Order: sequence, then C-alpha cells, then structure tokens
Amino acid sequence: MPAPAVPLRGHTLDVDALTVRYGGFTALDAVSLSVAAGEIVALLGPSGCGKTTLLRTVAGFITQASGRVSIDGAGIDDLPANRRRVGIVFQNYALFPHMSVADNVAYGLHARGERGPKANARVAELLEMVQLGAMAQRRPAQLSGGQQQRVALARALAIEPSILLLDEPFAALDRSLRLDMQMEIKRLQRQLGLTAILVTHDQDEAMSVADRIAVMQRGRIDQLGTPVEVYDHPATPFVAGFIGTTNRLPGTATAEGITLHAGATLALPHTLPPGSAAMLTVRPEQLTLASDPAPNAWPVTLGLAVPLGGQTVREVRCTDGTALRLTEPRRGAIRDLGASAHCRLAPGASPTLFPHTEE
Amino acid sequence: MARRRSASEVSYALVVGGLATLALVILIGPVLVVLATSFTDSRSIRFPPQGFSFRWYELLLDEVRSRQIHRAAGNTLHVAALAAGLATLGGTAAALALAEARGRWARVADAFFMSPLVLPGLAFGLAALMYFTLLGFRPSLELLVCGHLIVVVPFVLRTVGASLSQRDPALLDASASLGASRLYTFRRVTLPLIAPGIAAGGFLAFMASVDQVPVSLFLSSARTDMLPIRMWGMMESTLDVRVAAVSGTLIFVAFVLMLVMERFTGLTKRMRG
Repeated sequence: MPAPAVPLRGHTLDVDALTVRYGGFTALDAVSLSVAAGEIVALLGPSGCGKTTLLRTVAGFITQASGRVSIDGAGIDDLPANRRRVGIVFQNYALFPHMSVADNVAYGLHARGERGPKANARVAELLEMVQLGAMAQRRPAQLSGGQQQRVALARALAIEPSILLLDEPFAALDRSLRLDMQMEIKRLQRQLGLTAILVTHDQDEAMSVADRIAVMQRGRIDQLGTPVEVYDHPATPFVAGFIGTTNRLPGTATAEGITLHAGATLALPHTLPPGSAAMLTVRPEQLTLASDPAPNAWPVTLGLAVPLGGQTVREVRCTDGTALRLTEPRRGAIRDLGASAHCRLAPGASPTLFPHTEE
Repeated sequence: MARRRSASEVSYALVVGGLATLALVILIGPVLVVLATSFTDSRSIRFPPQGFSFRWYELLLDEVRSRQIHRAAGNTLHVAALAAGLATLGGTAAALALAEARGRWARVADAFFMSPLVLPGLAFGLAALMYFTLLGFRPSLELLVCGHLIVVVPFVLRTVGASLSQRDPALLDASASLGASRLYTFRRVTLPLIAPGIAAGGFLAFMASVDQVPVSLFLSSARTDMLPIRMWGMMESTLDVRVAAVSGTLIFVAFVLMLVMERFTGLTKRMRG
C-alpha cells in the first residue's frame, strides 16, 4: 500500500464549553473536549445524547449558542462549513449518485479549482490507498456497502482535512464487514496521523477504534477516558450501565465497604458516607461461583447457562431477588439448573460503588 | 406455483381486473374511435368510418384550404413554447426557494402557486380577461402567454418539488464539507439531480398549454386564434372531419413525446411524486 505523497500531520481540536439549543431544548450543555494530534476520540451514547450535534457543530452545519471550537488553537467559529477543511464520512456515505467514483473523490479538489494532471494523480493515489483503483469509473450504486464507504473515506481525505469526522460510518455495514472496515479506518488514521472523531452508539465499535471514549448523556460528557478506564472504572452509573454488561447489587455502605442486601459484606475502597444506601456495579467477569459459604460470598440459585465462545454466561438469582450475570470458564464443573451455590467477587476485582438513588 | 386460490382471492382479482379493464376501455376507447374516424373516406364524422383514406390528412396539410388551422396551430405552439419555457424557469426557481424555506409563509406561497390547478379554468379565464382589460391590454399572444403561464406553472412546481424532496440533504452537507460554495453545489449536485424533474415539468406544462381551452377562450381573439378553440368552432359550424385529423395528429405527437420523455426522465415516476 503506497503512502500518500504528502503525509498529513495531525492537528489538535479543542471544544470549549460548547452549548447548542434547538428552541427550548438544550442539545449540548457546555461540553468541553480536547483531541490531541493524531488521536481518535469516540463520542458514544444513546440517540439524543448530543453526539451528532457535537459533530455537526464542529463541521459548521450548526451554530452554537455559546462556546468555542478551535483547530490548532485558532477559532473556527466564524468560518462557514465549506472553509473549515473538516473531512466527513457520513452515515450513509452521501456519495454523489450521478458521478463516477473518481469524480466523487475529485469533487473537493475540483471545488477548489484544482484540476489537471496533479489533481488526477492525487485521485488515483487515494483510490489506490482504499484499494478501489479498478472501480474509478463505476457509479456509487454499482458498489457494495464497504466499497462505498472506502470511496466516502477517499473523498473526505482528498481535501487533506485537518480533522476527520466519522458519523456512524459502520452502522450500514454487515456485521462481518464492519470489523474489517474498523480495522482499515484505524490503520489509515494511524498511517496518516489524522485527528479524528467517531460518533457511534455501538460500544464495541468505540472500544475497538478509539484511543479515548467520551460517553455522552443528555447533552453532556459523563466520562472521557481510554476504553480500559471507561470499562473498568466507570465514572457514573450511566456509564457503567451503557458500557458492557453490568450487574447492580444494592446494599448499605460501611466504613470498609458494603453490606449487600443479598447477604454478604465486601471490603471495598469508597468515599460514600457509612450507613448510606449504595449500589455496587460489577462486571460479569468480576464475579465467580464457589461451593462453600464464606463471609464475602452470598447464596445464589443457578439459572440458565449459555455458551459464548470460550466462556459460559450464567444467570444466577440472589436471595433478595436480584438477578446477576456472570461468566465462568467452560471447562469448569457443570452445575445444574436450580442448584444452590455461592457467589463472590473474583480475585483482584475492584468494582465501583455508587450512591443508590431511585431512578 | 400450484396453489388453490380461495373464493375471496378470486373475487378480489375479478373486481380489480374488471375495474382495470373498464378504466382502459374508457381511456383508450375514445382515442381509438377518433383515430379510426380520422381515416374515413366519407364527408361526415361518423363511427364506424366508411372506407379508408388519408384525404382528411391531405386536406389538413393543404396550405391554402387549411390556412386558418395552420395559423391557430402556429399560435398554439408559439404560446405553449413561451409559456412552458417561462414556467420551467420560474417554477424551478420557486420550487428551489420553497424547498429551502421553512415556515408558514412558504406553505402559503406553495398553496398559492398550486391554486390554478383547482381554480375553475373558466372563472380564471374570465377574471384574467377583466383584469387585463382593466389594465388596458388588448388581446395578444403575449397576453395568452401570461394566462397560460399561470395555469401551467403548477406542473413544473410539483415535479421539481418532488425531485428536490427526493434529494438526500446529506449531499449538500457533503458538498459543503468538501469546500464547495453554494453556487458550485447547485451546479454540480442539485441541478443534475433535479434535471429530469425539470424536463418532465416542462413537458407537462407544454402539453397543458397546447390543450388549454378555458383561458384561451377568454383571452384569444380572431387574430390570436388557438387550435383547441378553432377545432371547437369547426365542430360547431360544419362537422368538419379535419377536426378528427387534427385530433389524430395531436394524439400521435403526444404519444411520441411521451415515449421520449419516459425514456429520458421516467415521467410517470415523477408525476406520482
């Protein structure tokens, strides 16, 4: 795969206290975010959380009520969308249906008046980069979804954007193709040193593509961190619930940890006032089953087990009625449905305690 | 597929099939009757025709004896070309403006432009005559163009509006993000995508103008005779078989134009928009 003639240098993106309102509805509430040069940050959240609004405001399609967006430290708020040099890969690619693949890729160059052999060479080079050199004269409708996405990517890169915005780019792809394209986009982004923002509602996608993840909810960023940080140390109950599978165990905070309603006392570091209602959020792999009772284990009844790759996902029910999901190695002793066992934290697990509020 | 059909399926097929056949008979029957009659050898408009000849078509082409018909046809084409041309320009511009604008005034303006479709033609023709006379205009081809323009604009507005609503708004965002100005976006993206809609609207406007009776009835004069009015006059006074020949010619031309438009723009698809 040939490297582009002029390697793109990463640019920094700073979003500072950005607020966007639609009528009375606040879509973005004083959001701040800094993306380092060459970094890819995923905006992750349910629909309506403001992630797409943030992307469209950076692109210049939406004007903010207040706050600043700057690239390399210089404000771009006064620039119209067509002067921002922000490349976008749209959800449905938004390829121009009446133009050939080559004309689509050349569009940004032509719009700036760049024509002739130099522009043609650049288009050919980009098409080679996304492995579509043979498809240059086809129409978008004649391409598969994955190929269309490569064209959209090549078209966005043709203008040598300072920032690349990816708006749910994998949502329309088949599951099998999705991982391939995620790898490819990540590889190109690394190779070209691009600064990028990925908008997605798919946590696996965010985990596999992004350097950092901004988990968004109701127009705010709940947590910004690496995939591992966000997964292992969720900052809010929302993040804990949105990323991965999470079990919630209610209890009462003590000086050293928590007493679960399910019937066990666990030693855990936390900052809650002793005696207050608390909620333990714990990942399936942070739980394990044992046969014998112990002070830090609580009785459960075994439910269904579903094999999932190398592991088995097991449902268990606590005495207080709480249902839990946990993973156990498949080679372990196969226990019967309805049998009694004891559940405890896996060695080394440090789940997070949150204050228990009625939601 | 060998499958037994239930009684309700059969009766459904019978009803739908029967209605379709009836519609075809009502639509196509008169066309076939007038076409057949135009090739008659007799001197009267009667069905079934007696004998077969091209004599009425030959008479129709005779420059001296069919001078008035030729002049009316010339006027009609002149007015239709101008009215359709202006309607295409104005209707496209209006459709673009209405597609960009949101809010109540845009919907009011849209309804206003479309109103000639529902307004009774005779009422509009009379109103136009009184209004233009009040302003001091004499009947002329230009006046006819004005009158026709108003009643054929809705066709362009509708087909172009439908094309615009089918255009993916993300294409405009994509174009802007790639550095294109609004004008460049219009030229390279919007215009090529709505071109078939513009062509279809222009064609429909042209045919509607050729076919237009009520407005012409009030706004034309002896000097600015229009083809449908002249045909009506010939029917009333002499039962001239050339009327059938003119009808046959119009049907043939419309059919050919329709095939051409269907081939290039998918006309029927756009009329549904």
